[in-house]
Amino acid sequence: MRIARRWSVGLGTALILATSSCVAVKPSQRQYLALPEMDPATNADEERWQSHVESAREGGFGGHGAAGGGCGCG
Amino acid sequence: MRLRLVRSRLRRRGGARTTRFGWGLLLWFVVLGLHGGIAHAENRLTVRGNYYREASTRVLAPELRFTVDAPDERFMLGGGYLLDVVSSASIATGTADATGGDNVFTELRHETSGFVASRLGPWQLNAGTRYSTETDYIGRNVHAGFGRDFLQRTLNLHLTYAYNFDRVYRIFGGEGRRLPWCGGNYGRSCDRRDGGTNLLQTHYVGLSYAHAVHPTVLLLASLEYAWSGGPQDNPYRGMLIPAAEQESHPLRRHRFALWVGPRWHIRKARVTLEPRYRFSTDSWDVHAHVVEAHVHWRVHNHVVLRFRYRFYTQTKAFFFDEGYNYDYDEREFCTKSTPTGCASADPKLAAFVSHTPGFQLTYELDGLAKRTRMAWLERGWIEATYNFVYQTNRFGPARALGSLAFSLAF
Repeated sequence: MRIARRWSVGLGTALILATSSCVAVKPSQRQYLALPEMDPATNADEERWQSHVESAREGGFGGHGAAGGGCGCG
Repeated sequence: MRLRLVRSRLRRRGGARTTRFGWGLLLWFVVLGLHGGIAHAENRLTVRGNYYREASTRVLAPELRFTVDAPDERFMLGGGYLLDVVSSASIATGTADATGGDNVFTELRHETSGFVASRLGPWQLNAGTRYSTETDYIGRNVHAGFGRDFLQRTLNLHLTYAYNFDRVYRIFGGEGRRLPWCGGNYGRSCDRRDGGTNLLQTHYVGLSYAHAVHPTVLLLASLEYAWSGGPQDNPYRGMLIPAAEQESHPLRRHRFALWVGPRWHIRKARVTLEPRYRFSTDSWDVHAHVVEAHVHWRVHNHVVLRFRYRFYTQTKAFFFDEGYNYDYDEREFCTKSTPTGCASADPKLAAFVSHTPGFQLTYELDGLAKRTRMAWLERGWIEATYNFVYQTNRFGPARALGSLAFSLAF
């Protein structure tokens, strides 16, 4: 319970700090953010395949941003 | 007469529902029309061939995916089909039961999926479904989510909910029968009067965060939680356990994961660094850490080489015994307070570590598209990925996974 409270406080603080940032990257400065290697969506299909394999071979969970399941090979 | 009245009422109700649906659809298009100035459309078709190999199992998984903007990002449609061709000679995967002997067997799994998504100003909405079927498992998923941009579209928060409702079966090869599998404690009878069910449900909630904090730095993070209820043990693997002859895992599982993965583009070197870290924990006491690094190197205007290294470690589940020496009592359900009801031969519940080096080569076809009659290749790409896993559990010391993909924009 104490661990959960610490995690909640830590995550809450991180979220507040992250969302209250006053630095806004202007649209004209976003050319590098638009590169495929900077776009998380570029590897979405590959991540799905990795997630599928990991869910069948590892006890860990998450980290690919989508729900797994449906394999039946575990 | 009474029947006619009922039918008439039903027709009226159906008519009212149709009218409401029509008004809803009209309202949707009006809302879409009010949000002008959206970026141009990009439709995309991707064909991918996935490959996985370990000591006793080979998987080939071709897949096809498409997304269509209709007419632009205010309304997007997508779908896909995946075929899993699994060839296995492992007793642990049910070979003996399925084939009636120690033979190699090949199994097919078909998966279809579809989604709709919309971006309206700073808001994003999405919903979708997935259906998967194989001889002894039916997987179904519905999911929906919404997100919002902040700080001039430099920060995005997205919430996703998913519900899986799967059906688990066991094949008796020698007997040629398929019976529901309700979990080891219920045994072969799977008596529903005692609460036995072969329905495996999962509720999933994920919150993701993406923030451009600098023209070359993107912060990404996610929090995920999942609750599963239903049979979560393997119907076949129990024959490896002398005292139990069946696996018996807890019927409930809570899982939690925290993931962070910033990206930093170094302009002069044309390199993007992507370190990742994930911590996950669950009510079965499986605590896992993943430390991963991706280095994307743009070696040419249209060629990107990616190097990857992943380190994975986990603790064992509270009920797992490496030697499969269980003091098993089939009258008990497997819980933390009654561990004698537990038995498992699942290697992914053991403590182990793995190391995964890998690389990926992506060739963007924009260069070719400048040639005569090749304009259709613009924004297309070809990608080859290969990873090799060294690990310390019973799945074997080595396994390989890779894919070849071809994508076209239209």
